[in-house]
Amino acid sequence: MEKAMSGIICAVRGGPNSQPTIDKAISLAKEVSLPLYFLYIVNLNFLVHTQSSRVSTISEELSKMGEFILLTAQDKANQMGVAAEGVVRQGDVQEEIILLAQELEANYVILGLPQGQKEADIFVPERIKEFSALIEQESGAKVVLAEGKPSE
Amino acid sequence: MNKTRKRYLLSAILLCISLALVFSPTGSAAEIKSNESYILGYVYDLQEQPVSGAEVNLLDGDTLIAAAHTQADGRYALEIPDTKLVTPSLSIGRSHFETVTLELSDTQLKQLSSGNTVVIEPLTLLRQISIAFWISAIIFAVVLFLIATGTTHNTLAALMGASLLLGISYLGHPISDELFIFDFDVSISYVDWNVIFLIMGMMMFIAIVEHTGIFQWMAFFAYKISRGRMLILLPILMLITGIASAFLDNVTTMLLMTPITVQIALSVGINPLSLLIPEVMASNVIGVSTLVGTPTNILIGSYGDISFNGFLQNLTPGVIAAFIGLLIYSALIYRKDLSKAHPASDSLMSRLEERGRITQPVHLKKAGWVGAGMLLMFVFGEKVHLLPSVTALIGATALLLWIRPNIEEMIEAVDWTTLVFFMTLFIVVGAIQEVGLISIIAGWIGNFVGDSLLLAMIAITWLSAILSMVIANIPFTAAMLPVVGYLSATVPGADTKVLFFCLSIGAAMGGNGTLIGASANMVTAGIAEAAGYKISYGYFLRKGLPALFITVSLAFIWLLIKFL
Repeated sequence: MEKAMSGIICAVRGGPNSQPTIDKAISLAKEVSLPLYFLYIVNLNFLVHTQSSRVSTISEELSKMGEFILLTAQDKANQMGVAAEGVVRQGDVQEEIILLAQELEANYVILGLPQGQKEADIFVPERIKEFSALIEQESGAKVVLAEGKPSE
Repeated sequence: MNKTRKRYLLSAILLCISLALVFSPTGSAAEIKSNESYILGYVYDLQEQPVSGAEVNLLDGDTLIAAAHTQADGRYALEIPDTKLVTPSLSIGRSHFETVTLELSDTQLKQLSSGNTVVIEPLTLLRQISIAFWISAIIFAVVLFLIATGTTHNTLAALMGASLLLGISYLGHPISDELFIFDFDVSISYVDWNVIFLIMGMMMFIAIVEHTGIFQWMAFFAYKISRGRMLILLPILMLITGIASAFLDNVTTMLLMTPITVQIALSVGINPLSLLIPEVMASNVIGVSTLVGTPTNILIGSYGDISFNGFLQNLTPGVIAAFIGLLIYSALIYRKDLSKAHPASDSLMSRLEERGRITQPVHLKKAGWVGAGMLLMFVFGEKVHLLPSVTALIGATALLLWIRPNIEEMIEAVDWTTLVFFMTLFIVVGAIQEVGLISIIAGWIGNFVGDSLLLAMIAITWLSAILSMVIANIPFTAAMLPVVGYLSATVPGADTKVLFFCLSIGAAMGGNGTLIGASANMVTAGIAEAAGYKISYGYFLRKGLPALFITVSLAFIWLLIKFL
């Protein structure tokens, strides 16, 4: 028996590189008439070489910044007639995407495939396919990779 | 007991204490006996700097007659016992210096025999380049390299350096004297506790202020009064960031200003970097104007004995000139990006308004009062020789007592890793000072600049600005302080502390040149990247290098006008 469809997760990092991913998610949500969830994950790795005592403050600030970034995406979705929600999580990017996909029993997970990323990042062509397979295996959701030219 | 009896009792106690002090056998007056003779003198190094801690021994043949150590000003006083001397000689030695032996002349011997004091001509000790010298230099270079490349956490790098230096001194000394650098007491004497306590006090104060929402409120207020006009918003945001950085630390300011700036930029549809880069540069520039504005100023102020007012009076006009230059430059390079701004949507605007609220008004009010009190103490405290560290501690404690927050949370808010970094860094820099590397570098620079104050100002300002681009400015400044101290004492006209101000400008504004030049740059880049706007090394260099030359040049011109 086929699982009931329950939503689309779009992992958003913000910035021009995220726009093709957001656009793809909105068009898919419209096409399959599913609720759309934009996900922002707070990553504090950059604090490794700075003041460690500021972790709680900066985590709070980044969460609020993440909410705002998602709000801009939600605004865009609303303008195109798609209802969207924003979810902010903190932790490991891979784990949090899989966890949310499992929690929502998501049908689709939209990931961006931008250019010029660092090698250590999971969002590089070599590693993202591996990661997509892992999401599909762990959550049952279908992964869609959004390619496109970043908007200015 | 009535008031009069209490007063009598108190007076009697005070009288007894006073009498005990006056007739105490340990009093200094009791130590000097009129019939004893002394040998007095001074010991200097090749750069004419006093040598402290040198062992001065009076020998008669192989027999030790008297011994003393030189003080911080290089002075020594040997108390000569009532003994008949035959062939007396003076031996003066210290680790990392060649030992000097001086035969006393017949005249001096006669003077001593007749109970008179002999004053010896000032002596110069020559540096000894031992294995310890090279070990200390290599360890310092490795620590700098690890910090610059980011392969090891700053604190761990400095901690490793300090541990190695002390470990080699203690474990190597029994094998060879050449392996001795310094003992624990001497290493600790290089730690500047005024700096440590000042930073600690300010961290506690900032930990309370940062939760009040004041930064977010100021940024939103700036947006409101600019009415969305970016060429008005840009200078206001730069000014807010800069002034906040002058009183709080740059990293905290940028940690709090960057997320709200990103939100403002996104709401009006512009690239956040067009606001963030000018903001972080303003933070690096305006922070220079106060003693507590940058960690390098805290180091410079404590070493050079420069007060809060000293920085404010001597650097503010130069900083204002540099800020105006930076503002014009920023508006020019980002004019295209800024012109793309459009009015924010209602939903984004209402979220911005929500973010721009003061979250803890009572705490903010109390912090405002205490902050004002601290500012007054910083400004007027120098009249009573009040150390800035004491002001910071009093302010932080008063605020904690008034607000009564969870004390454990507040103590956790103190960045102990940074404090350990400073303490261990002082030990690492102390080692190269102890073995004479700093004296050699000071000698080279001294030879290069000669008697020219202008040349010394150019050398210190631009050397520190350029080097601060590639190596962390805190260890660099810590190492440069004794060099600048030496030049201030030897170059004619440099006793105004102008070279310390040159170091302050170069080390802090030099941080604008590269992404790794200042911690605030790295934090801003990290948050911007988390919002999807990457600040690469090359991008920052392209924007930052011209800013460095503009700001350092303008501030330097001010120093030339004021001090030449």
